[in-house]
Amino acid sequence: MGVAVVGKLSDESLLAGLGSGDADAAADFVQRFQRRVFGLTFSILRDRAAAEEAAQESFVRAWRHASVYDPRRGTVAGWLLTIARNVSINMLPTRRFDPVDPEDLLALEAKRPHQDRTEAQVVDAELLREPLARLPGDQRRALVLAAFYGFTAREISELDGVPSGTVKTRIRSAMLKLRSQLRVSDDR
Amino acid sequence: MTGEMGCEQVRELASELALGIAEGEERDAALRHLDGCSGCRQLVSELSSVGDELLQLAPAHDPPAGFESRVLAALAEPPRRRSIKPLARRWQWLAAAAAAVVLAATLGAGSVLLATASDRRLAAGYQAVLSQGRGAYFLAAPLQGTQGRVGTVFGYQGQPSWVMVSLPPSTRDEDRFQVQAVTRDGRYLPLGDAVLGGAKGTWGGQLPVDLSAVRELRFVGSDGRPTLTATFDTTNPWD
Repeated sequence: MGVAVVGKLSDESLLAGLGSGDADAAADFVQRFQRRVFGLTFSILRDRAAAEEAAQESFVRAWRHASVYDPRRGTVAGWLLTIARNVSINMLPTRRFDPVDPEDLLALEAKRPHQDRTEAQVVDAELLREPLARLPGDQRRALVLAAFYGFTAREISELDGVPSGTVKTRIRSAMLKLRSQLRVSDDR
Repeated sequence: MTGEMGCEQVRELASELALGIAEGEERDAALRHLDGCSGCRQLVSELSSVGDELLQLAPAHDPPAGFESRVLAALAEPPRRRSIKPLARRWQWLAAAAAAVVLAATLGAGSVLLATASDRRLAAGYQAVLSQGRGAYFLAAPLQGTQGRVGTVFGYQGQPSWVMVSLPPSTRDEDRFQVQAVTRDGRYLPLGDAVLGGAKGTWGGQLPVDLSAVRELRFVGSDGRPTLTATFDTTNPWD
């Protein structure tokens, strides 16, 4: 069974429709992004009920703030997932919890089909998978803890028992390597 | 660290700023610097894109059954509280769609349960219905005759889309109709014959197009004129 209704309009068009109160656009927007939004909130919160609450709140915030989305600053998917990430982080009961192993978090996705993404979206995200895999393990861990769970350098330092300055350097090195990878792709 | 920051210090902190994990006075000083430095702003912007793209590597996961319906119901709520008239009316339609799930799922002998648009609790009980068929939404519209409303048309947006008509018992005498769907671009699509009225309180049929493409449902009598019509618009038919 397909979901042929979804996929006719661009992400930007659906978001604009959502923001203006278009019911069809809202339904399509939710249908298009719900697996990714829930996937992210579940990855962070590791609890289905909490993840659903976070995902729902993410869509409500996307609707409220649709008018301020700026396509020059990133994709709709990236913008929406950043909202979902921030909502989830705010719902974490405490920072003293056991986050999913960053290696597991990212390895899982590589095995899954991207049936609900456009080719361009897959390409953009996949550009980072290889460089991420090539990062030294300690850099990758620090980066994932910061990017997905919102851990500060100080918190990662406490979690892993390494100096805060070291964590900062790891995050910075990892980010700059990935940035150079995206830049290379933009220049092609 | 206090006071003003230079470009070099800000660039060291740029990744943490982009990921939203910079803290305290350090962050405040960096943000002040960014206000007046386009070069550092550009760097943070590029690193923010890296952070955004990273999030897309998280595994996609099917949400619980009924999630989509619950989101649409949640979207329908805030505008009413804010009293933004035009937008509120449009979103009330979404609440009606959620409420219509209730009606569609409980259709029996034409009894019409009047669910209010704000009755989210009631609608929530049936949200799983949509997800069973991977449907996008339900909606409902009054079926109008020459003397006013005679029943209700329910529509389902899914694969395939369909419509169902419900008339309270003995609303009108039994009659045979040709059913037509009028699309938003003006096409007339035949949906077959229906016998309605008397003891026959329901009729249903599959749509050859998406429900979203249908503007009106017509029941054409023997004289060739539409006797009963239902219009799908974006206002709340249950007001």
